[in-house]
Order: sequence, then C-alpha cells, then structure tokens
Amino acid sequence: MRPRQNILEIFSTFIQFEGDRFSAWASDPSLRRSMQQCLANSPQHQSSPKFWALYWHKQWQNNATIRAREHLTAYLQEVCFWAAQKTAAGFGSSQYSLSDYFQMAIARIEKILNNFDPQQGVALRNYAKAIFNTTMREILRQRQEVDICTAWGLLRKISQKRLMESLQQVGLSEKTIARYILAWHGFKTIYAPQQARASRKLPRPDKATWEALAAFYNSQRYQQLAPDETEIDSETIEKWLIACATAARSYLYPSVTSINKPQQGNSESELLDQLAANEGESLLTAAIAEEESQTRQTQTAQMSQTLETAIANLEPPLPEILQLYYSDTHTQQQIAAKLGMKQYAVSRRLSKARQLLLQKLANWSQENLHITLNSDVLKHTSTVLEDWLSAYYKPTESSRTE
Amino acid sequence: MTFNSASLAFASPTQVCLELSSTDLDRAWEQSQAFSTTARRWNAYLNRLCLNAVLPWLQQEYDRHARVFPHLAALPSFWEVVNGVAIAHLSPPQTRIALPGPRLILIPSEAIDCTEIQVPQEWVDIPSWIGDYYLAVQVNPDDGWVKIWAYCTHSQLKQKANYDRHSRCYCLKEEDAIADLNVLWVARQVCPDEPTRVSIPPLPNLSLERANALIQRLSSPNILLPRLEIPFPTWGALLEHSGYRQRLYQQRLGLNEQWSVVDWLQNRISQIAQELGWQKIQMQPSLAQARGEAETPQPILSKELVIAGQAYELRVIPKADISQGIWRFELSSNKIGDRIPGGFKLRLLTEDLQPFEDNEDIAETAVDLLYIEVALEPGEGIVWEIEPHPENCDREILRF
Repeated sequence: MRPRQNILEIFSTFIQFEGDRFSAWASDPSLRRSMQQCLANSPQHQSSPKFWALYWHKQWQNNATIRAREHLTAYLQEVCFWAAQKTAAGFGSSQYSLSDYFQMAIARIEKILNNFDPQQGVALRNYAKAIFNTTMREILRQRQEVDICTAWGLLRKISQKRLMESLQQVGLSEKTIARYILAWHGFKTIYAPQQARASRKLPRPDKATWEALAAFYNSQRYQQLAPDETEIDSETIEKWLIACATAARSYLYPSVTSINKPQQGNSESELLDQLAANEGESLLTAAIAEEESQTRQTQTAQMSQTLETAIANLEPPLPEILQLYYSDTHTQQQIAAKLGMKQYAVSRRLSKARQLLLQKLANWSQENLHITLNSDVLKHTSTVLEDWLSAYYKPTESSRTE
Repeated sequence: MTFNSASLAFASPTQVCLELSSTDLDRAWEQSQAFSTTARRWNAYLNRLCLNAVLPWLQQEYDRHARVFPHLAALPSFWEVVNGVAIAHLSPPQTRIALPGPRLILIPSEAIDCTEIQVPQEWVDIPSWIGDYYLAVQVNPDDGWVKIWAYCTHSQLKQKANYDRHSRCYCLKEEDAIADLNVLWVARQVCPDEPTRVSIPPLPNLSLERANALIQRLSSPNILLPRLEIPFPTWGALLEHSGYRQRLYQQRLGLNEQWSVVDWLQNRISQIAQELGWQKIQMQPSLAQARGEAETPQPILSKELVIAGQAYELRVIPKADISQGIWRFELSSNKIGDRIPGGFKLRLLTEDLQPFEDNEDIAETAVDLLYIEVALEPGEGIVWEIEPHPENCDREILRF
C-alpha cells in the first residue's frame, strides 16, 4: 500500500481492495471539496494531519455530523489497514480476507470517535489503532464461539445489550423487541444446562419447559409490557426465541455493504457546509489549543526512556514475553508453546509485566507532567502504554506514525 | 483440559485469564446441587467456578488472606436469589493500616460478547453488601477458563450505568468500564484516596410479622424470581438480614428448620450450622460444678470466633431442663488464662433485631466471661451480636 502524503488526500480518499490486496485510493469528490474549502480558510501553518484530525473530531463532538465522521474515516484508513494486516498475520484463517478484517474494524468508527478524548494526550490515530486491534480480535473470538453453539446455547451466552442491538439491527419495532426480550428473559430464568460442561450444545427445551416459558411470559407481561399485550402459546415463544438466536448470530456477520466508502446525500452536505462556515473559526481555535496541549503532554522521548529502563529491569522471562507478544505474530498460545509454559501462565506474566510498566508510567507522568492521577487518567495511560509497547517492539511501524 | 482452546488465542494482555481443571469443574458442580431450580443451580455453578478460580489468584498475587464475604457456607443463600459473590475487604497496603482495603464483588457471566457489565441492584444498593470494585468475569465451563475482562467502581455504576428496571440491574457499557485490571492495582498505589463509593440511603426496617409474611410468600416454588417480586427497598432489607436470607433459602428448597438449637442438642447439628462453626460439646464438669449445677455432663453448643485476630468461644447452654426454656449465652477467650478486653459487648436481640431488657453484657474492664441469661418461649428466635464484630461472621437467627 502506498501511504498518502498530502492533507487533501488524507481526509478525502478511501482504500479500495482487489481480492485480498490493496488496489487504489478512491477519492470522494464532496469530501475533497469540503477539505479544500477548509484549507483555503485556515492559516497556512495548520497543515499537519494531526491538527485536522483534532479539528474534525471537535466538529464530531459538537454535532456528530456525517461529514466529520467521513473525513475521520478517511484519515484512519492506513491505521485500520495495518491493524487488519496484523490481525490477518496473527490469527489468519482462510475464512476471512484482509478486506473482511478491514471492514470489521472500520465499522467501529463511531464508537472510536465517541470515546476518544483528546485531553488525555493520546493521538487519535494511536487510540484508533488500539481499538481496531482489539475489535478484530474480539469479533473473531465471538464468531468462533457462536459458530459452535446451538441456538439454545447461544441464547444463554449473549448479553441483554447485545441481544437488543441484534434485534434493532434486524429492524424490529420497539414493541416486538420488548416481547422478545421478555421471552428471552424467561428462557434465561427457566432453562439451563443440566451438566457441568454442556453449555454450548444446549439442546432444545422439552415440552414441559416450553409450557413453563409460556406461563412465565404470560404472567410477567402485566408488569413488563404495555397493557394491550396478549397472551401467547409455547409455539410462539419458540418462534420468537429462534428469531432472537438468528438475529444474534447475524449481528456478528453483517452483510458487507461498503461501510468504508461513504454515501452522502447532496442536500445534507450543503447544510453541513453552512454549519461549518458558522462555527469554523471557533473550531479552528479549539483544535489549535488541543494540538498544543497534546504536544506538551506527550513528551515522548522522556517517556520512552522511562519505559525502556523499566523493561530492562524486569525479571526474566518478562522482557522476552513482552517482546514476543508485542512484536506481533505471536499469540499467547504460541508464546506458551515456545517457552514451554501453560498459556494461563503467560497471560499472568504478561499482565504482571504490564502492571509494573503502568505503575512506572503513572509515576513518571505524575512527576513530569504534573497530572493528578485517578482511575480515568490511568485508563488512558494504559492505552498509551499499549500503544507505546506495540510501537517499541515494532520499529518499522513506529517510523510510520506521525 | 482444553485450556489452550483457540478462543483464548484472542486474549488481550490487559485481561486476566485463569484456568479451570477438570477437577475444578467437577468439584464446583458437586458443590452446586442444592438449589430450587436447574437455572439457579447453573447460576450457582458459574459463581462457584468464578470464585474457585479468582480467589486463589487473588491470594497468590495480591493478598494471601483474601477470603469470601461473609462466609463460604452462606453462599448458597445468596445464589438462590441473586448473581454475584463478594470478597471480604483485602488487607490494606502496609503504609495505611488504618484504612480497610478494597472490597471486590465478582460478577460472573457466561455472555461471550463482553459488551456490558450487568450488576444486580443488591450489590449496589444494600448498604452492607456494596463493594469498591466490581469485576466482570466471563466464565466458559465448556473450555474450562474464566476471564476477568473489565471492572468498575461503585461510584461509576451509580453515575454512568443505566439502571434496567426490568431486571433490576445496573448495566454499564463496556467502554465506560475499565478493561485493564492493572489500573485497579496501580490506582490503589498511586491515588489511594480516590473515592470508589458513593453514599446510598439506608433500607427500611421490617417488622417480624412483615418479614415472616414475605418469606412465606417468596418461598413458593411458583415464584422463580423472588428478587423482582416485591419493591426493591423491602427486598433489600429482607436480604440484608442474613437470618431472613437463610430462612428464605431454606424454605425455597423445602428444607426443615436448620437453626433449631433444641434440635441440635437433642439430635444433631445441621450441616449449614456445622459449616458455620457450631459444634456440640460436653460441658466440663468442673465448670458445671463451679456454677453449682448437677454433675451429669450435659451437651452444650459452642462456636469459635475470631475477634481482632484473637480466638474466642461463644457457648449456648441450656439451664437445667431444656423444656424450661432458660438459656445462657457465654463468651470467653479460647485460650486458658486470657481475658476478654474491656469494651467488648455481648448482646442478644429479637429476630427482627430489637433490644429487650437485660439483653446485654458489657466488659467495663478486662473480664473472664461475658454472659446473658434469657427465658425463651418455644419457637422463639434470637440473634446474638458481639462488639467488636467477629471476622467471617454473619448474623444468624437461633431458634429455641
């Protein structure tokens, strides 16, 4: 892949895949126009991608406009591509192509934009990279588990939040969702595995259980549903529960529409231009201030030195485990095989090593950046550390980051 | 065991994965049989697996004295009605002995999507149950592992979680929780004063009649989810009284009275009471003589207690014939020659925790013995209390 160089491209073009490979950068004309306009209206020195990322993120925070999201989706293309490559290399299965991984990750963009906090001193690219990586891993893990569950096993292994989202994605009405959720609630309350290791292959409930499920629904509906809901029989309960399981399964396998390439209505884009013109100036000022404070906060060289010293002082085999894990391609399982340990032992050591480093990093930022530490700050420090570790152990990629 | 199953290949370094052996699974399954329905049994099993994996890990990595709250033997009475298990306050870091260490609540779930932590309201709004940190634990019995995938504080739950009134749970989105458990330990070190809890209102008092009626009603096997059956403050008050909670458990399972002191003396001590430390002993004749009583040895009840690190013994002694209903409660040190320090109090309360006349003996200065004698009607219940509070102890209703 050819990384993009100029600001205009970075905020208005998208990766095209051909089979399993990068093929080209496709430009979106309306985003290109929008970016040209912004560049024309801003002071000359505001030319770093990082600055414009902060600018569009500010706009996202203010209005959550589609345009801001799309500019930032464009901006994060390389990061997402590299994360997809890393996942494919580490967990490669013939089932998914590079573009599948890319789509899985880029679909999380709104969540990333909502949760990113520029005040914390992490660059958006780095934050997004960490989330892309964990997202892909998570989806793979969940798909693998879902694939081997029966419908009934799956219904016990899903959170209420996920089930809601799945049913919403299928496009069911709020009322229908409330009914399904109540039926599912009854299922969880009444039906469970009868053996210690039989949660995935949970069989279809028997007749008595179906009747109990219907009875549960019919008695609970007075409290939990709207007053006009009617009584239902056990066949209906079964039909609904199967619909729940199907929705939950397909939630993990969304049909790949072009999530990457934006589709934008013209009328909206005009409206947005209007909006942007009005608040453009204050957003620019805010983005400038944010960029400055981020630069102040990151003081990367000093931080790197602190962490490198800390790593050098770790007891063996902690440095080796860190090296193997963060230099890619080694899963905890593979490290375990290589070092002749059990995987849970690797997991514990890795966690211990990270704890020691997090502590050092926290102390360092308290002393040098005069940050008041609390759990929220530490949560972000943990993201910084994660990012630093993967950059440190993989010099080729760190040279690509800004 | 298939711990090295592929699904764990995706584990991230911020998440703690712990192995469960075949033996762990079998043992947990055996320990999880006494519940009213298969679904409650399954819930208890998940909790047991979670506890059996996480507690030894805590002991090994953070505090070798870590233990369950209030007591292992009490757990079935929790799991019959609610999900989750509490770890008693961890030892404080050495520099701050004065403060208690944090209290953890483990919230197991079998959900494979780690998208929210669903904490039952009981662990958030019952004053004596609340924790500092709530750990979301994914349990996978098929592959034999548990994973601590995120945590949050009590104050995060109160401030950021969405309260779901249908399930009476606080639901915290994954992104509002903290995925890196290391943050918890580091925060304890670098910002130990950060508040983890917010204050919550006390629960109402329940009269004995009310409590009895509620237990009666909620014990019906037709009520699958007693926790959703009555308004939360009432439910919370019922559960917070561990004597009521035990009775609810006992009645939901259709068990006989497990706390009958008369039955313990005349037949045998119930399993649960034995697990909670009660035993039957013969009163030493010399002691009996000293009190001017008959020399025939009579059985009495004894329970060992640990108060501020020292061992004590609580005894329940029938005076003369059991049928006369005169009972003596005694507290003394377990070590011959040691005395009870000044300030200790032994107190008896009615079942619904009301005081009565002459219900208390206070050590003004160090004494050998604290004791109270009471006359009780057949079937009357008594709750004993000691100050300072014994470790590892829960309120119990002794039935006479």
